[in-house]
Amino acid sequence: MEILYLLIPLSAVLVLLIVAVFAWAVHGGQFEDLEHEAERILTDEPSGA
Amino acid sequence: MTAAALPPSIHPAFDGPDAGRRTPHDAGAQAAATLDALDDPLEQGRFTRWIQGAHGERLAESSLQLAGMHCAACAGIIEQALAAVPGVCSARVSAAAQRASVCWDPARTRASALVAAVRALGYAAVPDAAAPARAMRRAEARQALWRLFVAAFCGMQVMMLATPGYVAAADELAPDLRQLLNASSWLLTLPVLVFAAGPFFSGAWRSLKARRIGMDVPVALGIAITFVAGSGATFAPGGLFGREVYFDSLTMFVAFLLAARFVEMRSRHRSAEALEASLARMPQTAWRIEPDDSTVALPVHRLVPGDRALVPVGEAFPADGTLAQGATQADESLLSGESAPVAKAPGAEVVAGSVNLGAPVRMHVQRVGADTRFEAIVSMMRSAATQRPAAARVADRWAGPFLAIVLVLAAAAALAWSQIDAQRAVWVAVSVLIVTCPCALSLAAPATIVAAARAWARRGVVVQRLDAIETLARVDQVFFDKTGTLTTEGLRVAAVQAAAGAAPPLAPDEALACAAALAAWSTHPVARALVAAAAASQARSDALAPSRAQREIGPIDTAAVQELPGRGLVYRDARGRQWRLGAPGWAGEGAAPAARVVLGVDGCTLAGFALEEALREGAAEAVRALRSAGVRVSLLSGDTDARARALAARLGIDDVLAGATPAAKLEALAAAQRAGRCVAMVGDGVNDAPVLARADVSFAMGQGALVARAQADAVIVSGRLGDLACARASALRAMRIVRQNLGWAAIYNALGIPLAFAGWLPPWLAGLGMAASSLFVVLNAMRAAALPAAGTAPSAPAAPVVAPVAAPGAA
Repeated sequence: MEILYLLIPLSAVLVLLIVAVFAWAVHGGQFEDLEHEAERILTDEPSGA
Repeated sequence: MTAAALPPSIHPAFDGPDAGRRTPHDAGAQAAATLDALDDPLEQGRFTRWIQGAHGERLAESSLQLAGMHCAACAGIIEQALAAVPGVCSARVSAAAQRASVCWDPARTRASALVAAVRALGYAAVPDAAAPARAMRRAEARQALWRLFVAAFCGMQVMMLATPGYVAAADELAPDLRQLLNASSWLLTLPVLVFAAGPFFSGAWRSLKARRIGMDVPVALGIAITFVAGSGATFAPGGLFGREVYFDSLTMFVAFLLAARFVEMRSRHRSAEALEASLARMPQTAWRIEPDDSTVALPVHRLVPGDRALVPVGEAFPADGTLAQGATQADESLLSGESAPVAKAPGAEVVAGSVNLGAPVRMHVQRVGADTRFEAIVSMMRSAATQRPAAARVADRWAGPFLAIVLVLAAAAALAWSQIDAQRAVWVAVSVLIVTCPCALSLAAPATIVAAARAWARRGVVVQRLDAIETLARVDQVFFDKTGTLTTEGLRVAAVQAAAGAAPPLAPDEALACAAALAAWSTHPVARALVAAAAASQARSDALAPSRAQREIGPIDTAAVQELPGRGLVYRDARGRQWRLGAPGWAGEGAAPAARVVLGVDGCTLAGFALEEALREGAAEAVRALRSAGVRVSLLSGDTDARARALAARLGIDDVLAGATPAAKLEALAAAQRAGRCVAMVGDGVNDAPVLARADVSFAMGQGALVARAQADAVIVSGRLGDLACARASALRAMRIVRQNLGWAAIYNALGIPLAFAGWLPPWLAGLGMAASSLFVVLNAMRAAALPAAGTAPSAPAAPVVAPVAAPGAA
């Protein structure tokens, strides 16, 4: 059971890490135009919008 | 519009202070860079319109887009701050639309002072022109999504860490392990408290600073107390706050509440986007045709009536006017909700903001800027968006005292329980505080009514006064004006009576075709009705009638047709016979008595045509739908008794008031109201303005230029009367949803308060109940945005077929 004393704090840190990754994704605008990303493959421009 | 998109032959002629200013990118950058730009007259024109004050002075009315508002109380705070700026005549703020409409005196203040006043309160404000507002919405959506994620994700983890505490037997969990679990929960609750719950604390602080109690105060208080008590129990177990921690309740409560606000924010953004989508229809640039036939590009507000303009394919018409050259199709979905293109021949009327789909055309400009139908509709939608419906005003009035009672109740509960069981006093107080917060109550009405207004707009009914939705649901008698409302301006051929024994003998279809061949040379309404009827009968039954008629009358020689005012048309054909089309007696003797127009050859009647007023599309269906819904339908007309009754009989209306003066119409309405009925009036909006004003709720038919002057609660922009029945069904549905929401909130509070007071409602259940009921109310309100199933299939909110202006690629 001693392993819990390591795992519980580790899980808390991991959660905070995931939150940070999500923050990066949200502020990069990844959740704003879900349709457009799917359709980008159909457009000609190599760079997309 | 960028230079790259201009046709090669056309040179942009932006000049003077305009140069480069009206591009979308600049607009955003400028608004952000400095407030001073707001005082530039050209910039100001984008969010300000000029109106006449009570004493004839010139006043400005500006719309601002706000951000950072969370409840009705914020609207009041901003309103007061704006009204306190010297030179501001009035300020209206809508929490639902997050918009402010400010009326101010340009001699005494400036637009930048208004924005500065709002910003000083800690809210964000930008002029309500699309680009910066859109950027602000995007930032708000991102922030809200992130807060929601932090609260929900951390909440899940905290719940996992809390589970051992719930399921373990009394001595199964070692004290130091329990301590570790609690400390981890505390760590994960910290971001929820500091970051995700930030809006509640800042909202509470703002309303306290303004000496008011907003919705956020009990919420923030509940969160803060729970956290402080939980921290105490975690780090000093067995101390003042006992051993119980409720971090799982706290995070879940915040997550649910943020979810409700997120849904509400999305719906608000959708409303704003719909309005902007129609605004974006208006081009920024117009191509004016100079006297020497060259074309110059200029900002659209530089066009003046009388100009000629070129409209390329895929662009919107820059002004109201007529087609001068070229035939095309136009997408007029912004007026009618119907996305099928409308064919336009030279001379046809075109409206600003509709998109030219067919071919490049030239137009005569007749009305520009604020006089166009487009601008009239947009400003109506705007003014409706800054209103608070009556039900919401009632809720606002009671929210303040109610919240004060909530705080007193919570304090009383804490006091009472500190005598009974001091360990539980804090938790009971928190439960009372949270369970009674009337968030759901304050959201119930405005969210629903704004959603219903959106549904109406999609059907082509634009609301000017939001109360119209509430009132229409109660209406039990509808008065229709006749001319221009139930009928259109035009005439219709009701019957063709071929004269017996006429030489040459003609079948009715052939007679009609002959008459139409002559009538084509006249623009008289009767002649137009004959031409339309001939075309319809040809399409319907007898495609050969025109060729047989052709044999009879021969090819028409234009030079030989003469129009005699008050009588009709005269034509001498190749065989020397004189044809006449016109008044009975003049064109030919012995026509049937019902005939108003007669076709004759050499004084001998060939056929008579009976005419009647053309019914507006859907009029009969609308009357039938209203009657079957149990609404009394009455006809008011200034026309003669016989004509009014004939029309009423065609529509199935039995209550007719004919030959009525405006005073008599008013009296008829007043009599119905005295009898206790709620009365709706449908008119053309201009000639019958006083009658419309007297009715409980009024509708105007939005035809031609008249829409700008319409004095009605709502305008049926589509011109389809059937939409009235749809609007009524939608209003009934919206009010049913409001009642459901209010009922739900009342039951929930009535059950929750005694339970919490008795200590039977743990904080986690109180939080879940309160947040879930807010979410329930918001989601339920969204249903009002759906169009009622009755009526014809509505078209989807029209996506522009060809994007007319600034492509949203950067978004």
